[in-house]
Amino acid sequence: MSGGYRQQPGKSSGKRRDGKRVAGQQKFPPPGSGGSNPVMEPRDLNFIPESVGGKEPQPAGSHIHDRIRTGTVVGKPLQLVDSNAKVTGQAWYGDDVRLANETIGKILRSPHHYAKIISIDTTRVEALPGVISVATGQDATNRFGVLPVTKDEHAMSVEKVRHMGDLVACVCAETEAIAIEALALFDIEWEILEPVFDRKKGLEDVDEPIHWRGKYHLSRTNVQKRVFQEFGDRSLVDNPHAASHGKWSMEGVHHGFTEPHAVVAHWDPNGRLQLYTPQQVPHYTHRALSTVLEVPMHQINVIRTFVGGGFGGKSDPFPHEMCAAILSRKSGRPVRITFDREEVYWINRGRHPSDIEVKMTADDSGRISGFDIDALIDGGGFASFGHVTSYYNGVLATAPYELGSFHYTGARVWTNKPASGAMRGHGAVNTRCAVEVGLDEMAEQMQVDPIDLRLANLLPPHSRTITGFRITSNGMREALEKVREGSDWDNKFRKLPLGKGIGVGCGFFISGSGLPIHWDPNRFPHATVHIQVDMDGGVTVHTGAADIGQGSTTAVAQVVAEVLALPIEMIHVRSHESDTSPVDLGSYSSRVTFMNANAAIRAALEIREQILNAAWDMLGYHPNTLVLNDRRIYYKHDPSIGVSYLQALHKAQEDKGALIASGAYRSPPMGGVHKGAAAGLAPAYSFSSYVAEVDVDVELGLVKCTNVWAAHDCGKALNPLAVKGQIIGSCHMGLGQVLSEKMVYGRTGHLQNANLLDYKIPSIHEMPHVEPIIIESCDPEGPFGAKEAGEGPLLPILPAVVNAVYDAVGVRFRDLPLTPDVVFKGIERKRRSLKLEDSLDLPSPRLEYGPMQEPLMQRAAEHKVRDKARQRTEDTSHYVNGVLFGFDPNIPLEDQVDGWRMATEPDPEQLAELGLAGKAWLKKTQREMGDDA
Amino acid sequence: MLMPPFTLHHPNSIAEAITIASNIITEGETFDWVAGGTDVLPNYKWRINPKPHVISLANIPEAKQLEPYEIGCMTSLSSLTEANGMHPLIVEAASKIASSLIRKSATVGGNLCLDTRCFWYNQSEDWRRSIDWCHKADCGTGADCRVIPNQNTLCVATYQGDLAPNFMALGATITLISPEGERVIPLQEFYQLDGMKKNVLKEGEFLLKVTLPEDAFDLTGSYQKLRVRESWDFPEAGIAITWRKGDYKTLKIASTALESIPKLHVEQVDSIITEGWSKDESVNTLSMMVRKSVKPVNNTALPPNYRKSVVRVLTKRALKNIGCE
Repeated sequence: MSGGYRQQPGKSSGKRRDGKRVAGQQKFPPPGSGGSNPVMEPRDLNFIPESVGGKEPQPAGSHIHDRIRTGTVVGKPLQLVDSNAKVTGQAWYGDDVRLANETIGKILRSPHHYAKIISIDTTRVEALPGVISVATGQDATNRFGVLPVTKDEHAMSVEKVRHMGDLVACVCAETEAIAIEALALFDIEWEILEPVFDRKKGLEDVDEPIHWRGKYHLSRTNVQKRVFQEFGDRSLVDNPHAASHGKWSMEGVHHGFTEPHAVVAHWDPNGRLQLYTPQQVPHYTHRALSTVLEVPMHQINVIRTFVGGGFGGKSDPFPHEMCAAILSRKSGRPVRITFDREEVYWINRGRHPSDIEVKMTADDSGRISGFDIDALIDGGGFASFGHVTSYYNGVLATAPYELGSFHYTGARVWTNKPASGAMRGHGAVNTRCAVEVGLDEMAEQMQVDPIDLRLANLLPPHSRTITGFRITSNGMREALEKVREGSDWDNKFRKLPLGKGIGVGCGFFISGSGLPIHWDPNRFPHATVHIQVDMDGGVTVHTGAADIGQGSTTAVAQVVAEVLALPIEMIHVRSHESDTSPVDLGSYSSRVTFMNANAAIRAALEIREQILNAAWDMLGYHPNTLVLNDRRIYYKHDPSIGVSYLQALHKAQEDKGALIASGAYRSPPMGGVHKGAAAGLAPAYSFSSYVAEVDVDVELGLVKCTNVWAAHDCGKALNPLAVKGQIIGSCHMGLGQVLSEKMVYGRTGHLQNANLLDYKIPSIHEMPHVEPIIIESCDPEGPFGAKEAGEGPLLPILPAVVNAVYDAVGVRFRDLPLTPDVVFKGIERKRRSLKLEDSLDLPSPRLEYGPMQEPLMQRAAEHKVRDKARQRTEDTSHYVNGVLFGFDPNIPLEDQVDGWRMATEPDPEQLAELGLAGKAWLKKTQREMGDDA
Repeated sequence: MLMPPFTLHHPNSIAEAITIASNIITEGETFDWVAGGTDVLPNYKWRINPKPHVISLANIPEAKQLEPYEIGCMTSLSSLTEANGMHPLIVEAASKIASSLIRKSATVGGNLCLDTRCFWYNQSEDWRRSIDWCHKADCGTGADCRVIPNQNTLCVATYQGDLAPNFMALGATITLISPEGERVIPLQEFYQLDGMKKNVLKEGEFLLKVTLPEDAFDLTGSYQKLRVRESWDFPEAGIAITWRKGDYKTLKIASTALESIPKLHVEQVDSIITEGWSKDESVNTLSMMVRKSVKPVNNTALPPNYRKSVVRVLTKRALKNIGCE
C-alpha cells in the first residue's frame, strides 16, 4: 500500500491477513456483503489509464470510458465466471436437463438425397407399445429460417427431402430403445428426384430446383443468391507490374464442437412452452418457435443451457427444436432429443465448400491496383446464413488494404447436401486465404518482402474501405510489426533450408454486425442489459447474450464490476431465460462484447449515479469529487471521509427498494446506400496478423506447423487470459481447416466421414507453439476500447501456413486442406518439372530484393507516422480508400475520377468475362422472364 | 448412440470359455470374443454385425500373461509400452497406436484381430441402409462391394492394425484355442485374404497369446507409420522392418494398412538378397519392389495412389533407421 493515499491515521499497521477483523483496528467500516475479501483493496493504479492519472500506458490514445475505470477487473487476466461449474462437471448442457416423466425423442431422417414424400403412414409406429407421440411435416407447415429474407426450413420436410439426413418425421417414446425401434416402422412412399451435388451444376437449369423462390427465382437454376460488386477505377488494373491469379478449391469444414445438439421441450401446466436448448441465438429460436407452433412469443420461454461450443454451428433456429416442442405438445410430457455425432454433421451449418478465383494486380509503385474475386459457394440444402455469406466472401476481403479497384462476383447455390452456414470467421476465411496468398505471390514477383508490401498498402485508422466500411481503430500495422519481430522474420524468410518455411497472413473481421437482422437499427437497439441491485448489495445483471464458452458472461460481469468498483463475485449474470432476459441478438458476428458490454456499461453507469448521489447526500461532497473503490465511496482529497458501498446503496434504496437500471447499445449510422451495403458493416473491425513456421516432410508431403506468432488487435483486452485463449483456439481451428479437416462426400453424394475419427480435427500433437500477442488499438466506441477477439484471429492462420509451405518447398497450393496427398502431389509435380531424381534436391525459394523494396519500406515508414497521428486523433482529416492513388478524400471519388465505379450489377458488356460464380448473372429471374414473354 | 443389448459372459478359465462358446454355437446363436472392446463395442453401437452374446477374455489368467517372449491377448497396449524388457520394436509400435486413453483399454489380442475397416462399412445403420448396405455387412441382401462395384466375391476392407507387421517381422507365432484344442502357427499364416474372413480363426476359436522366437531380441527393428494425426488415427500405411544387424539374410519386411491383411514381403527381400546387396541401389530397388507389391484401395482417409507411393519412402526410412543401407 506504499505510495497510496492516507488511510485512517495511526491505524495503518498490523493488518491481519486471515481476513478477520480486529475490534478498533478495521481500516474502514464493514464492506458491503459479498466478495471474498472483507477489507478494501487499494486502487490498482496499474489498471487505471494514464489519461485519468493512473499508470496504465495508452499508446493508442485515451478513451471515453477512461473516467469510469476503477482499476477493479478490466485488463486483468481472470478465470471465466462460469469456469468452476464447467471444470467440476456441474454445468448443465442440453442433454443434462432431466425433467420428471420425460420421454425420448428420435428423428426419422431421409435415406435419399432428394425425393418427394408421396405419403407417410404412421400406423405401425403408433401401434408399437411404448411410443407416446408421432409427428410428421404436416404437423407444422409454417416455414422458418435464421434470416427473415430466406425462410426455407420446416420442422420436418413437408413435401420433399433435400439431403440425406433431412428430417422426415419424429417420434417420442418411453425409452430410447423403443424410439429407435419405432423409426423402422414408418411406411413412406417416395418419389426419387435427381440430386445435385456439384456446386458448378447448381448454376444450371434443372427440372426441379431444390427450392422455388417464385418470381425471384433465377431461371430454373439452384442459385440461391448472386452478388455483384464493383468499386474503384478499373482502368488501374491494366498493364500491371505484378499480378497473381489463383483458382482455389476449398472443402467444407464443420465446427466440431464438443456438445452435440440437444433439446428438451415441455409445455408447463399453464400451457406455456419451456424449451431448453444450447443455443447461441436463443432469440431467433424464440421467434421461429412462435411462427412454427403458432403460439405467441410470450407463451414461450427459451432457456439456454450451457453451450458446449458453438462457433456458429448453433446459431440457426433448428428443426429438432421444433420437433421436440411439437412432440411435447402432442404428448403432454417433456421430450428430450439428443443428437448422435452423425446427426450433428447432417444438420451441419459449417463453412461453405467453395471455388474461389482471385486475380490481383499491383502497379509500378507497389500499390494494389485491383482485387478481382469470384466465389462460388456450396450452400447445401438450405439457405441458413448463406445470403450474408455470399456478400462476406467478397466484401470482407478488401481491408486492411487500400485498393485501386475491387470487383466481386459471388453466388451461393443449393445442392443436395447438408446445409452450410455460419462458422467462426463467417464467409471471410476462404477468400482471405486466397487474397493473402496472392499478395505473397505478387511480393515474390516484385522481389520485395511480403510484410513490407503489406505495410506500404494499409488503410490508416479512421478511414473508409473501398466498399465504404467505416474503420475506426486499426492496429494492423502494429500487429505486422510485432509478428515480424517476434518470429525473427528478417533472418528466416526465404533463408530456411528445404522443408522448413515461414509465412505471413493478415486478417480483418467485423466486430458485431451493424444491422440487427430482425429490425431497423434506428428503431430498436442491438442489445439491452438490465441491472438490479437489492438490499444485499449483490448486483444481478440480466442479459440475453449467450455465453458459448467465449466468455461473454464474464465480459458483462467484468464491465459492471469495473464501473461499480465491486469484486466480480458480487456480480451475478442471469442470461439463461428469455422470460427474464431482455432481447438480445445472441452470439454471432462477434458482436457480444462490443454491443452487450456497451449496453451493460450504460446500465451500470445509471446505478453508479444513483449510488454516488446517495453518497453525496450522506457526505456532502459532489459526485465529481467522490472516488468509487472496492465497496467504498470516499472523498477524493481525504479517503477517510467516506461511506461503504452498502451504506450508500441503502440510502439510495430508501423509499424505492431495489435499484433498477436498463442500458442499451445501438450502432451509429454508417455505411453506403448501395445494394448489399449493410453486409459487412460493423461499428468496429478487428485486425490480425500471424506468422507461421512449418516443417514439411518433403518425401511424404506431411506438413507440421511448429510455431505461430499471433498478433490480434482486439482494441482493449478486457480479459487478456480470455483473449489469449481465443487466439490459441482460433489457431487450432484454422489449422484444422488448412491441414486436415474436410467433409468428404463420396461418389454417391454421401457424407463419408460424419464422425470424429474420420473428420480429422488436429490433436494436441498437431498444435504448434502459439505466441499470442495482444494489440490494443483502443477503439473509440468499444467498451473500454474493446473489439472482438473470437473470430478474427482465425483468419490469418490459413494463409500464413500456405505461404509458409511455399517458403519450405516452393510450391503454391490452392487446394485446401493441405492433406499429405495434396502436398505430395504438388511436390512431385514440381520435381518432375525440374527433372530431378529426388524431391530432396528441390531448390528452396530465395529472395533477392528488387528495386521496389526500398521505396516500399520508405512508404511504410511514412505511413507509420501518418497512422500514429490518426490513431491518437492528432490528425482528424478525412481518409478514404483512394488517397494512396492520389485522390482527394474530401470530394466524392466519382466526381474526380473518370470511370470510378460503384456498381452492384454487371454492365451487359461485362457479362462475357465474368468468372464461375459470375455466370449466375447470365440467368434471368422468373420475373424478368415473365416480362420478356 | 445406444448399445444394442447382448449377454456378456465372463469365463474364468480357458476351459470355461470354450464351454460357453460351444454351448452358444450348439444353440445356433452367434457371439464375439471381447478383450478391451475398443474395436468391437464401437462397431456394435453403429450396429455393425452385433451379436447376441459376447464372451469376455478378461478373467482368463493365461490371457493376461506378460513376459518379453510371451504376451497374452489381454495385455493392454499401455502395459506393453510400460512393462520392463519388452522388445523395443513392439514398444515403439504399441506407443503409436490410437491415443493414450484408448491404449489403456485396447489389447494386443484385439489389435491383432482388429476388424477390417472401410468408409462404406464403418458407418451408422441408417447410413449403410441408404447405400443399400455393402458386401461386408449385407444384412442378408447379398449387396455388392461399394469400393470396387460389380464384384461381390471379395471384401477389400483394409486391415489397419499396427502390431501385426511388427510381430511378423520379429517372427512371432500365435497360440489359438478352440474346442478341438490348441494350435500354434506363425502370425503371417493367421491372416487370410478377404476383408470379411480376415483370419483363420474357426468358429469358437480365439487367439490366446503371441510368442516371440528366442532370437527376437537379437533383432533390430523399425516401424514407420503414416497417419494424418499423431493421435487417434489408424495407420494409412505401415512398414515394419527387422534384421540382425549386418546380416542381410535376416532382413524381414512387413506391411500393414495397405490391404485386407498385413503382409510379410518375403519374395521381394529374397530376390534382393539373391542378387547381393549393393548399398543405395538395393535400398531403392527393394523399396520400389515393396511399393509395387501392395494394392491399396480407396476406402480410408487418404487416396490409394498416395498410400502406395509412400510405401517406398517408409521402407527406405525404416531400412535407414535400422542401419541397413
